[in-house]
Amino acid sequence: MSNFLFLFRGGNRARMEESPEAMQEHMQKWGAWMGGLKEKGQLVDGLPLAKEGNVVHKAGEVITDGPFAEGAEVVGGYLIVSADNQNEAVEISKGCPIFEHDGNVEIREIMSMDM
Amino acid sequence: MGEPKNEQLVEHVFRREYGKIISFLVHKFGPSHLERIEDAVQESLIKAMNLWGYNNPPNNPTSWLLRVANNMLIDTLRRDTKMDQKEDISGFERQHAVQEEVFLNNRINDSQLKMIFACCHPSLSKEYQIILSLKLIGGFGNKEIARALLKKEDAIAKSFTRAKKKLKEHVKTLNSPVEIGLRSRLTIVLKVIYLLFTEGYTASYGEILIKKDICLEAIRLALLLCENKYCNQPEVHALIALMCFHTSRFESRIDQNGDMVDLEHQDRKTYDFELIRVGIEHLEKAAVDSNPSDYHLQAAVAYYHCTAAKFEDTDWKGILQLYDLQLERQYSPIVWLNRIVPYYKVYGARKALLELQNFENGPYFSNSALFYAIKAQLLYDLKISGSAKEALQKAIHLTTNLLEKKHLSKKLNAY
Repeated sequence: MSNFLFLFRGGNRARMEESPEAMQEHMQKWGAWMGGLKEKGQLVDGLPLAKEGNVVHKAGEVITDGPFAEGAEVVGGYLIVSADNQNEAVEISKGCPIFEHDGNVEIREIMSMDM
Repeated sequence: MGEPKNEQLVEHVFRREYGKIISFLVHKFGPSHLERIEDAVQESLIKAMNLWGYNNPPNNPTSWLLRVANNMLIDTLRRDTKMDQKEDISGFERQHAVQEEVFLNNRINDSQLKMIFACCHPSLSKEYQIILSLKLIGGFGNKEIARALLKKEDAIAKSFTRAKKKLKEHVKTLNSPVEIGLRSRLTIVLKVIYLLFTEGYTASYGEILIKKDICLEAIRLALLLCENKYCNQPEVHALIALMCFHTSRFESRIDQNGDMVDLEHQDRKTYDFELIRVGIEHLEKAAVDSNPSDYHLQAAVAYYHCTAAKFEDTDWKGILQLYDLQLERQYSPIVWLNRIVPYYKVYGARKALLELQNFENGPYFSNSALFYAIKAQLLYDLKISGSAKEALQKAIHLTTNLLEKKHLSKKLNAY
């Protein structure tokens, strides 16, 4: 078993166009999906991230307002998921509601000292 | 992290909150900022969607969303106007403290009431009044409205943009007290609510679920009116009763194949008795000593229909009387035609047909599907099937409602 970091990117543009009703439905799908992961003991942690942020270069000599040039590239949130291997983690991600809004999930195994 | 438990959010909460917060902010900042307000509320819902998907929603979603939208709006206004803060929006500070709930609810209800009056402003066309009410108070999306009203989504969007422009021209502030000129304005507001209801209630191929939501929204708006002492008039209760009685039969009018079921063949066990009960409650509150409104009379007709245990048990005499009263108040060819149905049930097909023929030769006659559908029924009952078929074919030809066309065509096959 390993932990995997799920990084959620994009989907915001499509969300801007949604009706309140559709937004609520979408939100409830996220809740249901994550609830399912939790029930199976696969969910370790996770939180959404604010839109705004900074990137600090050269020990603070250069501070930019985030690397967020294109909406599609913004990381909107993360999860830490426990899975047997990369393939299983990919399988788990397939149920994520972010795909409804053309977003994507980046999946990275979190390295362990035991390896 | 918290347990993802957002099923605790009731149905349509986003849609409801959208309308509430729009009204609140338009009341506070004025209709001239309408577009910025819409964007801020949309943003606040997106934020909620992102956050509440991971976590429990806050205990009071309304005040959370309101605070977020309010602050986003203030930031935008400051950025856009580039004015001295003290000058333009000094009264509007970013909110940190959560307002007291009771106080907040009162203010929201007050804002919504004022928003209803603004959206139903007499200078706006019927079409604009409906779309403004659906979008800004009901929180419906363009796609939903398009699906329910069988229109194109971009046609809805364009019409909404034009309607907003007109609204801003005619309504500068929501701050004028509702009491001013209320009686005359209330009549128009009730008319718009009833129109809204009719849009939802008309049996068509539009999406059933959303159509019913539109009906329930119309009922909600009328209920909001009742909470205000100046608007709490008998005809408001009568309209609520009418809408409840109709809505109680909402699903029973369509069968599993999506085909229309007429009153005679509806399964009355499927009527929504809770809605009927609420309707009766309001019908009692609607009581007047004299001069009942059209809503009173129509509500009473609907009451007879939805409380008859079987079609055969319908109190046709009572219904006929109510139609006569309606015609006495104001003559309308459509009411007159509808009256023929109880007349036929009370006096038989032959007499009813004579009435219908007199009407046909009279000054108010015009070719309508309703006229020929009733005529066909009477002729069929009198076993004059050739003419019955002919009349029904005319009705099928005249109706523009596809669901009705199908329903009548099925009948024609049975003749």
